Amino acid sequence: MKPQKLTKDQIQKIALSTLGFIGLIYCYFSFFLGPLNKSRENMTASIATVQDKTSSSKTELKKTANLELQAKEATGRYEALKAMTADGAPIAWFPPKMRTFFAGQGMEKVAARLESTGDFGQPEMSDWTKDRWEIDLPQSDYRDLGKAIAALENSEPLLAIQRVSIIAVPEDPQFQQATLAVQTALIKK
Amino acid sequence: MALQLNLLHEEISEARQRKRDPLKLGMMALIAFGVLLFLYYGWNAYGTMQIKSQLTAAQAEWEKVEPKVTAAQKRAIELARIIDSTKVLDQMIEDRFYWAPFLATISQCVAPNIQVTSLSGNASDTDQTIKVTLEGLAAAREPRAAAEDLRQLLTEQLEKSYQNVEVTFKNLEDLDTVVNLAGVPTPSARFVLNVNLSSKAVTEPKTVAEAPKKPQSK
Repeated sequence: MKPQKLTKDQIQKIALSTLGFIGLIYCYFSFFLGPLNKSRENMTASIATVQDKTSSSKTELKKTANLELQAKEATGRYEALKAMTADGAPIAWFPPKMRTFFAGQGMEKVAARLESTGDFGQPEMSDWTKDRWEIDLPQSDYRDLGKAIAALENSEPLLAIQRVSIIAVPEDPQFQQATLAVQTALIKK
Repeated sequence: MALQLNLLHEEISEARQRKRDPLKLGMMALIAFGVLLFLYYGWNAYGTMQIKSQLTAAQAEWEKVEPKVTAAQKRAIELARIIDSTKVLDQMIEDRFYWAPFLATISQCVAPNIQVTSLSGNASDTDQTIKVTLEGLAAAREPRAAAEDLRQLLTEQLEKSYQNVEVTFKNLEDLDTVVNLAGVPTPSARFVLNVNLSSKAVTEPKTVAEAPKKPQSK
């Protein structure tokens, strides 16, 4: 059978069909499958990110729990050290505290005054303040003074005696005039 | 042989042409292909919906975990700060110089013929050295020898507890005045001793400091 020659009308229709086919493909990939795939890829990436975050968070939670266990001793110790700072301004409570302390050691005449106050250089100590005090004990017995210093050093871990001056009182050799320069670490409140 | 005549040739040809209409065929192919593409799209959309539900589940889990994680991160920072601060505080406590044992050692070294009239000491927190100045009187037939005995005894006793001990005379002079020592007039000398030592103890620092004994006086 001899193949029929395509008419002009038929060629036009074939061209129209081809155009329709191309248009369909274009629309399909541009407006349907393309965005769908893109959104699926985005979602897959989001899932991976969220799952990564979740799993790393779980690791972090475990780490924090471990750290909490490890830091239990340090936390307790820190709280105990913090509790050594009384409420209120140190100038209001530290001198009376020293008076009471030395009175308990048999030394009634006590005067404590604030010499200077400042911050520590270490960044870890930003919550703490460094105060320097001068404690005068104008009438103290050497033995009582030694006992008192021992008790003070043992009961006040955040207090460091930086200077000691003991001078015999010429009129009364039984007694000495003592001056202590101490530094305290107190939490900022 | 019978002769076949096709009298409807044109009609048959038209009908055949209508069947072979390229537009119609193209439309049919297009529709078929469109259906296939639609099915494929549906399949993909179904997969995407499943992924979306997975994402929703993952996000829900993250939303549950996130506040805990934020709190845990804050707590971890706080704990790290507490640990660091405690370390620094512990170091400060450990580096303190305990004066009570030092004063106890001094009092143990002072013999009955020695009177310490002044003690002045400084603890440096930068290089952890202790500098003490002792002033006093020594009374004996050889008062300078008595003062030297005190210096040697101090060196010996302090070396048991401290490092880098140095006890040196800053001043030692005979006095013209004679003092009464147990009712006996005795020559005397005035001394000034410099005591330098490192605040790092030879052994662990005493957590319970001893109180010094009463110093001997003439």
